[in-house]
Amino acid sequence: MIYLEYAIFQRALLGCVFIGLLGGLIGVFVVKMRLSTIGYSMSHSAFAGAALGVALSVDPLLTAIVFSAVTAVFIGPAADKARLPIDTITSIAFSLNMALAFIFLTFSPQIGLSSEVASVLWGSIVSITNRDLVYLIALCSITLALIYLFWKELFTIMFDRKMAEADGVNTKIFVYFMIFLAGITVALSLKLVGGLLVYALLFNPASSALQYLHDMRKIIFLSPIIGAASCIAGFFTSLIFDIPVGSCIALISTLIFAVSVILSPKRRRRWRNEG
Amino acid sequence: MEPIIELRDVSTVYEGEKRPAIRDVNLAFEGGEFAYVIGPNAAGKTTLLETINGLLPIFKGHISVLNLDVQKYGREVRCQIGYVPQDFMVDPGEPYAALDVVLMGRYGKIGVIGMPSKEDKEKAIEAMRLLEIEDLANKPIGKLSGGQQQKVMIARAIAKEPKILLLDEPFSNLDPESRGKISKLIAQISSEHNLTTIIVTHDLRQMAESCSRAIVMNSGRIIADCEPREALALIEKWNFSDFWRHNG
Ligand SMILES: Nc1ncnc2c1ncn2[C@@H]1O[C@H](COP(=O)(O)OP(=O)(O)O)[C@@H](O)[C@H]1O
Ligand SMILES: [Mg+2]
Repeated sequence: MIYLEYAIFQRALLGCVFIGLLGGLIGVFVVKMRLSTIGYSMSHSAFAGAALGVALSVDPLLTAIVFSAVTAVFIGPAADKARLPIDTITSIAFSLNMALAFIFLTFSPQIGLSSEVASVLWGSIVSITNRDLVYLIALCSITLALIYLFWKELFTIMFDRKMAEADGVNTKIFVYFMIFLAGITVALSLKLVGGLLVYALLFNPASSALQYLHDMRKIIFLSPIIGAASCIAGFFTSLIFDIPVGSCIALISTLIFAVSVILSPKRRRRWRNEG
Repeated sequence: MEPIIELRDVSTVYEGEKRPAIRDVNLAFEGGEFAYVIGPNAAGKTTLLETINGLLPIFKGHISVLNLDVQKYGREVRCQIGYVPQDFMVDPGEPYAALDVVLMGRYGKIGVIGMPSKEDKEKAIEAMRLLEIEDLANKPIGKLSGGQQQKVMIARAIAKEPKILLLDEPFSNLDPESRGKISKLIAQISSEHNLTTIIVTHDLRQMAESCSRAIVMNSGRIIADCEPREALALIEKWNFSDFWRHNG
């Protein structure tokens, strides 16, 4: 691989590894704490935010974080209460975010599909900077430390939040913290994967890992590995066939998910007693 | 004697609802008391239990448990209450072993800083042994039958070593033989450790045999608080036994 001799590609590859690890790791909590809908909405508002950043020529990372934080503030409490029509809210949020994102991109000062606009839309390998790498490594470390320290709480909340609360665990603080971490992860991953597909990174690796294993402690290792593998494979596919890296990562992780579902030992007995 | 649980004029309203699910409830339980709560579906039995442990916010009134205001010190109170929820069933693919789930009962007590110790694990295994499910310890909980899962949840509550037990139809998925056994076991544990125990049930026969107090609920109110035999007579007289016949 001739590309890999260049620092820019080495950096990009490293970025892929960390983004994949983070997405896979946080994704397990997002899926098991039933935060998928909020993760979904945050991903798309991060997209709209990044687009605004491009339009205003300010750092898209910053605007992406602000937008996903605002979404978390609005949708978080709704997700907390089962009786609010969360599906309706997220559907509306989706169209709103998409509309905003495309309007902002139209107003972007650069002409046509400049690299920045393209990166926000469907991701770009070369967009990853040293600063991004530092952020990613920092976020990875913080996330790992928190998971290690509060594993017991996270473990029981993922099993059943209400029962965790009934046992005297403060579930709210951990759920909100995971939403926060997911928001930052989404904003940081956006450059690589693109705003339209960033959600795949949170959802696909975790859902694949959950198909295979009966032990949460193993899932929490397998999911980031699947995430990183998807990103690395997507990276090379993108280079070889010259197609957007975000699409490659999303396609590969979806493929892994499909294979997982087919091979899943859990799928054979999928019944549910509604008793 | 100071009551361990005291509700004064308590009403609980679910979010978005107009009518309170329980209204103007006045109740007190002393330490070591063993009571059954009975009543037709939607009477407010589950709501009563979740109001006592503070999972639901109250709309009016005052509750204190273990001399603590539940609205303010809910978490402290919940660390002392073993709760078995109604109809708890997990997906078959849930990636948790039965022992993991039993051990979770102790997490609130251990606190945020601590890690489960060897002793915590022993307590969990001991609780599983009492319920005769220790051989299921390493099985994924989703692969267990409804009755076995119910036993896991009872073990979870017992492993916690609580001061209060709140059990919401804990025998609904058990066969009659297990029902008898486990209801005896709970009575025994309660008296050994002087636990205040409240059990919601449909099984009137079980109740008559094993407790001294029956609380009858209907439409969110307490309509009788008396001896089990008296309660049974009242139910006969009011003739709403057909409400829960399906659970006989
Ligand atoms: N989450 C909820 N939201 C709104 N209303 C509820 C909820 N849970 C229960 N209710 C209502 O509260 C009343 C009491 O319910 P519940 O306490 O579950 O009764 P029981 O346990 O005696 O069957 C019922 O009218 C029921 O419809
Ligand atoms: Mg009930």
